Amino acid sequence: YLSLSNMPNYKLTYFEARGFAEVSRQLFHLSGTPYVDNRIQRERWGEFKSMTPFEKVPVLEIDGKVLPQSFAIARYIAREFGFAGRSNLEAAWIDAYADQFKDYLEYIRPFFKVAIGASQGDFEQLKKEFAEPNRDKFFGFLEKLAKDNGLNGHFVGDSLTWFDLLIADHILTMENFVPGFLDAFPAVLETREKIVNTPKLKEWIEKRP
Amino acid sequence: SRQVAPRSSHKQIMPSYKLSYFPGRGMTEVSRQMLHLSGTLFEDNRLEMDEWAKVKESAPFGQLPLLHVDGKPLPQSFAIARYLAKLFGFAGATPFEAAWVDALADQMKDYLGEIKQYLLVAYGFAEGDKEQLQKEVVDPAIHKFFTILETRAKENGSNGHFVGNSLTWIDLVVSDHIEILEGLIPNAVDAFPLVKEVQRKTTSCPKLKEWLDKRPVTTW
Repeated sequence: YLSLSNMPNYKLTYFEARGFAEVSRQLFHLSGTPYVDNRIQRERWGEFKSMTPFEKVPVLEIDGKVLPQSFAIARYIAREFGFAGRSNLEAAWIDAYADQFKDYLEYIRPFFKVAIGASQGDFEQLKKEFAEPNRDKFFGFLEKLAKDNGLNGHFVGDSLTWFDLLIADHILTMENFVPGFLDAFPAVLETREKIVNTPKLKEWIEKRP
Repeated sequence: SRQVAPRSSHKQIMPSYKLSYFPGRGMTEVSRQMLHLSGTLFEDNRLEMDEWAKVKESAPFGQLPLLHVDGKPLPQSFAIARYLAKLFGFAGATPFEAAWVDALADQMKDYLGEIKQYLLVAYGFAEGDKEQLQKEVVDPAIHKFFTILETRAKENGSNGHFVGNSLTWIDLVVSDHIEILEGLIPNAVDAFPLVKEVQRKTTSCPKLKEWLDKRPVTTW
């Protein structure tokens, strides 16, 4: 399409899933920024793989210049549009929690791969061995964080950040696999409720593919 | 712990910085380097295991490193590095450049995850077959990651930096890591001349050389 403004042309490429691209899609929508939500079928990944810098998606194209790595993308968009906290130190806290979340995702991976059907295994056993203890540790931190932050609907600071979006989306995914997965973390759940009820986010969640 | 220099009389303007980690370099060294390069006073707090055990509970995620900024502890090595890089001008010249530095750092994290077991075995922290791990895990991981770095250095104009035209924290992280890696596997990255050029250019920076010459010697 013809761009009539000085806004860059954004194109976000990922699979037909929320996964590691959803936070960035949400940021585009929340900021009212037009972008191409390019979803590729998994069967066609082989065609595109070698065209990406790290042989991975998501990638973000900004006026044709490519940026890989989901967190680098999310942080870049978040900083452009004001969803990275109100100061450099706040942004650093968000980065720290996001990296801790990434570590947690690594720890629960054996369970997660089975839950999404990417590998075979004993769902219940893997849940007990990997998902639950790591959930308790990581969401224990978040429960405290939400309370220390005054149960204001955010995990860090007093404005919506990409970390809020990351966690809210992950909770949705985990609750699909294990209903009640986070029932022991009421402050986290309360914060999630407030996040997903942000009007523009609610709008996206209702209409997204 | 050991104060690197007396507290500045500009206490009101600059926050106080205390960087806490084990007596090693790891992914904390880059932050020590940036603090030094920027001429910023900081406490280079190196904890032995027994000292760490006493304070572990009070760390936000029970982990090191921590950067105490005016007494408040910021965790996670790359969050710390990115914060200091932004403050001191080692995060690229534009938001897009900063994002590319971040992307390379995240890719490096994946690579470090792949070679983690080998490193633990090599340093005697875990049991295992070092040679087998090197052949089956580390050599392919090095090939994959350093090919990405070599390509990046070339696309960036073979100018001795991975991103943009000036020193960034990814130049520092990779340069220090190469030294550690080649301490275990000599000539590990000889097949990547542009990457080696980044390391050469980075480590020849006079103010960095100053730090490299005076820092405590550690194998990792």
